[in-house]
Amino acid sequence: MQLQIRERIADWIYRAKAPETPPVILVQRRIYIVPTRHGYLFAFILLLLLLASINYQLSLGYLLVFLLASIGGMGMLHTWRNLAQLSLSPGRAEPVFAGDTAQFSLRLGDSLLPRYAVAVRRAGGDAEYADVPLGGGATVTLPVAASRRGWLRCGRLEIFTHYPFGLFHAWSYVDFGMRCLVYPRPDPGAGSLPVEAAQHGEGTSLMPGEDEFHALRSWRPTDSPRHIAWKALAREQGLLSKEFMSTASSDLWLSWDHFPGLGTEERLSRLTFWVLEADRLGLAWGLKLPGTRIALNVGDAHRMACLEALALYQIEAPSP
Amino acid sequence: MSNAPDQAALKRDNVLWLLAAMAFVIAPHAERLPLWVSATCIGVAVWRGLIAWHGWKMPHGLFVAGLAIATAAGTWLSYSRLYGRDASSTLLILMLCLKLLEMRSRRDALLTVFLGFFLVFTNFLYSQTVLMGLYMLICVWIFMGTLVGFNRVGTQASFRERALPAGKILLQAIPLMLVVFILFPRVSTPLWRLPQEGTTGRTGLSESVSPGDLNKLIQSEQVAFRADFKGTIPKNNRLYWRGPVMMEFDGRTWTMPPFPGVQSIQTAGIEAKGDEIDYVVTLEPHGKTWMFALDMPLMLPQDSYLQTDYQIRSSTPINALRRYEMRSALNYVLQRPLSPEARRRFTSLPLNSNPRATQFAQQLRANNPTDRGLINATLLLFNQQFIYTLEPPMLGRSPVDEFLFDTKRGFCEHYASAFVYLMRAAGIPARVVLGYQGGEINTVGNYLIVRQADAHAWAEVWLDGEGWVRTDPTAAVSPDRIERGMDLALGPVGVLPNLIAADRLGLLRQLRYTWDAFNNQWNQWVVGYNTDRQAYFLQNLGIDAKDWKQLAMWLMFGGLGASGLVAALILLQRRASRKDPALRAYEKFLTRMRARGVDRLPHEGPVDLLARIGRERPELLPGSTQVTDLYIALRYATPGSVSEKDPRLQALRAAVANIRNG
Repeated sequence: MQLQIRERIADWIYRAKAPETPPVILVQRRIYIVPTRHGYLFAFILLLLLLASINYQLSLGYLLVFLLASIGGMGMLHTWRNLAQLSLSPGRAEPVFAGDTAQFSLRLGDSLLPRYAVAVRRAGGDAEYADVPLGGGATVTLPVAASRRGWLRCGRLEIFTHYPFGLFHAWSYVDFGMRCLVYPRPDPGAGSLPVEAAQHGEGTSLMPGEDEFHALRSWRPTDSPRHIAWKALAREQGLLSKEFMSTASSDLWLSWDHFPGLGTEERLSRLTFWVLEADRLGLAWGLKLPGTRIALNVGDAHRMACLEALALYQIEAPSP
Repeated sequence: MSNAPDQAALKRDNVLWLLAAMAFVIAPHAERLPLWVSATCIGVAVWRGLIAWHGWKMPHGLFVAGLAIATAAGTWLSYSRLYGRDASSTLLILMLCLKLLEMRSRRDALLTVFLGFFLVFTNFLYSQTVLMGLYMLICVWIFMGTLVGFNRVGTQASFRERALPAGKILLQAIPLMLVVFILFPRVSTPLWRLPQEGTTGRTGLSESVSPGDLNKLIQSEQVAFRADFKGTIPKNNRLYWRGPVMMEFDGRTWTMPPFPGVQSIQTAGIEAKGDEIDYVVTLEPHGKTWMFALDMPLMLPQDSYLQTDYQIRSSTPINALRRYEMRSALNYVLQRPLSPEARRRFTSLPLNSNPRATQFAQQLRANNPTDRGLINATLLLFNQQFIYTLEPPMLGRSPVDEFLFDTKRGFCEHYASAFVYLMRAAGIPARVVLGYQGGEINTVGNYLIVRQADAHAWAEVWLDGEGWVRTDPTAAVSPDRIERGMDLALGPVGVLPNLIAADRLGLLRQLRYTWDAFNNQWNQWVVGYNTDRQAYFLQNLGIDAKDWKQLAMWLMFGGLGASGLVAALILLQRRASRKDPALRAYEKFLTRMRARGVDRLPHEGPVDLLARIGRERPELLPGSTQVTDLYIALRYATPGSVSEKDPRLQALRAAVANIRNG
């Protein structure tokens, strides 16, 4: 309940709808500051000390109270300054599989003064702390559980600090629209690759290294460097790629239709498993989804393209 | 991870800092605490230190609760109560120490620090000297350093990283503190009644006097009060500071009646003869209610009353420094008719306590028909046959007899006591007055320091037609004591005066007076800063604050001004440090080049500029090349910012400096 109210207030304060363009500098008007619970406790203790000083007419008691109150006030300035002019920029979040943990990172940028215990948290999440050295930067990584395939949004981040005395909570919000691609969770229930369509006997032609050289063709940017015909290049024949054709490969199509009767997510999970399996074995494969067809190919880029297609199947691409 | 701040707060170094802060703040209490309390505190601190050091398990909560109950009971046994200054500060110390064993979260740790500020406060209940103030400032510094450590999450704060920010903020807080201290409205009456408490360990006069009592006091160099005279300081032999008046005698001890009666100063019958003297007394706390004034007072300080024995009493015990203005008449007549009942009272003596003295007094009476004659005869006797000494022989059951006829050596209270006894036995109303006599003039601040060593006892007799008249039998025995002060009468007392006696050039004395004058100013302006002083001070500043509302306005503006100023300084300092030190050094180089006629053009980089220097001022080329090379290396070939410790930066600065010299 309390959390909800806080979020509401945060929504109200942070009205920017569109993701911001990095880097964001935490300028004065972006930073808010209120006493912490301990700040209120401190104030209460000071009040008691003030009453005692008045009653005992202790001048040094008065001095103590006023000193501590002034320290509190100066501490507020230092807490504020611990965030002021901090520059923030988003880090890249590597794609993960559903069920894994996505790592969003935020770079706290080149600081003109040392900052300590700067915390970053997502709404409702745990805070991660970092020190930002003078002239340097620091990266805070926020682990977020990725439960479903598709785009995982980082959402608004709260940057806050209690340093130096813990009496004040200074905070600011930033939203870079950071997102992380979540692939479907691979499901080993898919079984072995659908190589039965191959003309050769099972298993024999699937092992890596048994691919047969087929032909040379002109190099394409997606080709793996492993397949560049270096000898041809040395003979000044231009950049050519060796095209391998596994005997089975010509027919290794990973298709939506392999799993009749299963739901969308189950099919995607299984196809994901197959994609990984085919990539692991160094096979060339193609992917067929309703409305999508990715041609036979090999390599990291191909794998990622397939996984992305699986991740985003029937999910609207968010506006960038 | 949600308890990261908790874990951070309870890290070893943080706990050790907290322990250090606690040890510092409790240390001044140690001499007052019962031994078992000190032992418990040390034991708990060591245990908690070991827990933090070795990562041992914390004791069970029930065990700590048991300890808390046991120590509370112990406190009750030691003080026979749990309230009052001594008992409650002891209890606070014990409970805070035990809290260390119950410190399981960041909240607990912070609470311990906050309550630690109460311990700082309790120290001020006992002492408000400059040194205590400075010492407590250090304690606050350590506490703030502890807080800094608590709030470093993820990384450990080094010693510098605690001490520096805490110290810096402490210094930055001082201007605002001073403004608020000066302007915060002071309340002159307590908000609630404080428990009256017997005092321990405070030296000063007491409610009774028997032979040998004052001796201990005379050894004490402690300041009883200071007096600042508006005009010149009167001569030593006229400075009789009236304290408690003793009128009941049991044969050995003089005591004062519990309720001697109160009178108004206007109707008290004090008739001033000659000049009235204005002065300000700054009375050190002594835990009793008497307030000292020169005989005879013509006015009363706030919250005080005048007893029928002309003694000024405060309505509350003087447990903190008290500053009051006074006016006295050194020449006076105290003439009021003495009622028969009072006459009986001031001539009463216990039966058969000192028979020889009684007999001697009757003999004196027979020889001297007039009271004056009788007094003079007694004083003459003292003068001729008695010796004034600080180390008188012990006296037995009939001290007056033994003193008058056997030992004949004594100190002021012996003379006062014996004299009053003789007077009463001879039928003259008389009483013993305790107080201080004389004082030491601080030549640096031109005020009078009255120490416990100046404690004195004298007599007052009632003479028909004259009223109460002061008679000081000590003056008859040792005129030096009265005319020139204690040191000259008996030689220096204690260690410090010995040093001072050996101090031929007077340097030590000068130093001591300067220190005392400084303390006096501290007492006047800091410790004694009350409603009156505030009004006076603000008036001198030209601040017109008639009531607390106006004061609050001034406080707001002053506070905003002071904090704004410091804030501006802090933020400006950040601007300055924004520039790279290498760039700053290079800019200095550019200024020097400009002075030599080579002005950098807007499009010129360091290398272009160097080339032009080579063409236009070849003689500057070697130095400039050195500067440019170092600058480029620092600024463009070093990732991140330049460290102050980088030897190349120092070389660059030296090279820039060389250009001016070259």
